[in-house]
Amino acid sequence: MSVPGMTDTTEAVARARAGDADAWGELYRDFAPAIFRFCRRTLPTREDAEDATMEIFMKLRDKLSQYDETRSFSAWLYRVAANHCWDILRRRKIRQDKETDDVEDVPLEHPDPSQLDRLIEMKTSEEVRHALHKLGARARMALVLRYYSDMSYDEIADALGVRRAFVGVVLLRARHELRQALEGKSALAAGGTS
Amino acid sequence: MREPGSPVSQEGPDGTMDHLDEMTCLLYAERQLDRARAQTVSAHAQECASCRTLLRALDRESRLLTRALLEEDEPLPSRLAQFQERARQSFGWIWGVILGLAATGVYALYTGFVEPWEQRLEQAGFGGTSLLSLLIFQGAFWKGWQSVITLLEVLAMLTVAGFGVAVFRRRLRRGAALALVLAGLCAAFALPAPAGATEFHKGETYELAKDETVKSDIFVTGARARIDGTVDGDLFFFGQSIDISGHIKGDAIIFAQSVRVNGQIDGNIRSFANNLTITGTVARNVLTFNEVVNLDSAGKVEGSLTTFAQSVGIDGHLGRDLTAMAGETIISGTIDGEVRAKGRNMSIAPSAHVSGSIRYEGDNPASVAAGAKLASPVQFTKMRHKSRYTQGHYYVWRVIWTAAFVLFGMVLFLLLPKFAGETVRAGERFGAPVGLGVLVFFGVPIAAVIACVTVVGIPLGVLTLGLWLLALFCAEIVVGTVVGNWILGKPADTWGLIGRMAAGFVLVRIVYTPLADLHVIGALVALGIWIWGMGSIALALYNRLQPTASQGAIPGPLPPVAMPPHTTVGGIQPA
Repeated sequence: MSVPGMTDTTEAVARARAGDADAWGELYRDFAPAIFRFCRRTLPTREDAEDATMEIFMKLRDKLSQYDETRSFSAWLYRVAANHCWDILRRRKIRQDKETDDVEDVPLEHPDPSQLDRLIEMKTSEEVRHALHKLGARARMALVLRYYSDMSYDEIADALGVRRAFVGVVLLRARHELRQALEGKSALAAGGTS
Repeated sequence: MREPGSPVSQEGPDGTMDHLDEMTCLLYAERQLDRARAQTVSAHAQECASCRTLLRALDRESRLLTRALLEEDEPLPSRLAQFQERARQSFGWIWGVILGLAATGVYALYTGFVEPWEQRLEQAGFGGTSLLSLLIFQGAFWKGWQSVITLLEVLAMLTVAGFGVAVFRRRLRRGAALALVLAGLCAAFALPAPAGATEFHKGETYELAKDETVKSDIFVTGARARIDGTVDGDLFFFGQSIDISGHIKGDAIIFAQSVRVNGQIDGNIRSFANNLTITGTVARNVLTFNEVVNLDSAGKVEGSLTTFAQSVGIDGHLGRDLTAMAGETIISGTIDGEVRAKGRNMSIAPSAHVSGSIRYEGDNPASVAAGAKLASPVQFTKMRHKSRYTQGHYYVWRVIWTAAFVLFGMVLFLLLPKFAGETVRAGERFGAPVGLGVLVFFGVPIAAVIACVTVVGIPLGVLTLGLWLLALFCAEIVVGTVVGNWILGKPADTWGLIGRMAAGFVLVRIVYTPLADLHVIGALVALGIWIWGMGSIALALYNRLQPTASQGAIPGPLPPVAMPPHTTVGGIQPA
């Protein structure tokens, strides 16, 4: 992830807020690759990711005055990106029914630690990325927010619109879906007593 | 409902020992447990090998996920290389202007050119079609297809199709969008009813004897043909000369050097020939592109005659109107309709009999013999050879056409940004594109015509010819972009390329327009642009078809991945 030093970013943000186009250009150059990759991980197609990246930065530019400089710029950036991508997915109605609370009550099968360890050891990054796109939108989004954007459970709860206490459940279910996808089973079947 | 993360123990796989559940392990690994619970988990893990394995597996899973997600497997697309907001905003009004110009152009062209011609042709018996559709889409190969397609309509249709793809690509993958549009086009092409059975004859000479009858359409290629018998359908002829003394019950569509009609044709004649002589009877209309057209004194056309020729002679009987764009028009026979002619000279002999009005625009006044029977005097208009550069509408049209091509190019570049870049790069090499361009420019139409000689080759030939025409449209756009790159430097993204295309195209137009009037030089420059542009497209296609290195090539060593703090395994939540 291409993230510049904190001091540089803070200074660039301050200049960009003052209307310095070059400073905005610097911020864009520094963060656009990471945001594009974020969009690529969360949205179904490359074209969607390209469009979303541009839209996120347009939104950011408009909202730059609202940014609280005492907090991390990249965290704020990812929150905006997460909201934008989640809105796109929600508009397309590809959020699945199992995001409702009752589904979280379905117990997950306890994995065999040794088998899980072996499965993880055998899989490559590329296989994981491939499997990730077979996941439901929310599961994929949760994993990306946590392991790509490094968001806290509170931030993930806020972005996904779930209670903070259920973020762990969402992440665990996402991992189960991912394991099933890695094993070649239907991701949609994940989350139950498989 | 159980509180997630509560350290509820679970029976182990062996049924003999309690273990931590997976949720608890995950929350512990992610440092989401409070101090007391974390200490409980930690103590248990020290005693239980199975739970330690699970914690280790979850930790490895977290690391695998982080690494997989953080790896830079795709570069930032070129169109995102720079922030585009300013460009998008500036292009907003350009889009508006171009779309407005294009819409105006389409409307103006239709009302000012296409519609009058359609009316004129409708009067001549070709209702609902335009000149270009007669030439291209209602020719021999496309008979029965009633599409009204003009040059600008083709351009407009392609542009609209491009917009369709651009809209769909937000919803679908690019391939799927293209497939959708192509499927739509294929469906559109498949809609016209297939032509009936056709007889094909190929050889040096063909002769249909007097007592022979062809019960279907007949398609003849060869040096000479003689039709003394009867054809129940249409006659198509490609060759040197044809003599029709028999009876054609359908239309006669002829591409030949010499055409002589002594017999009877119940339908229309559409001919592209050097000489056309009619001494027989044509029941409907005649449309010709010839050097010499002669309706002999014994000849009779019951419909109208529309001709583009060097010399037109009407000695026989014409049932309806004469529309002629000819150097010389001589009327000595009978015309029951009107005469509209444009050319250098017109002569009306004493034996002439014209029932309708005569409107003639030419260099010299019509020469009317004293004995000629005319319904009204000739309405003569002196043809003005005013320089078109002094006429305002000339510039308006130039702007409209330029805008239409820029719009077309923009749509193409947005649809195929990568291929557009490759084509322009190919164009920057001179030798290869020019050499290949000569081959494509001359070779492809010849190959397409040859392919059309065979039955199975007709669709292939027509499709090839269509693609060739498309490449011809695009050639000037490609050359304009190369010129734009020379002047403004290499673009950073697709919009930069589009900007250079627009600037270069306009420049090429400005330079080329005055040269176009210098006949030989203008033709050579146009030929050069076409060859260069088509060669670039062909070279880019050729490069695309070359085998490339496998996509699955082994990547270099992975860069070290910085682990986010929340994924650190084990430990208690900070107070």
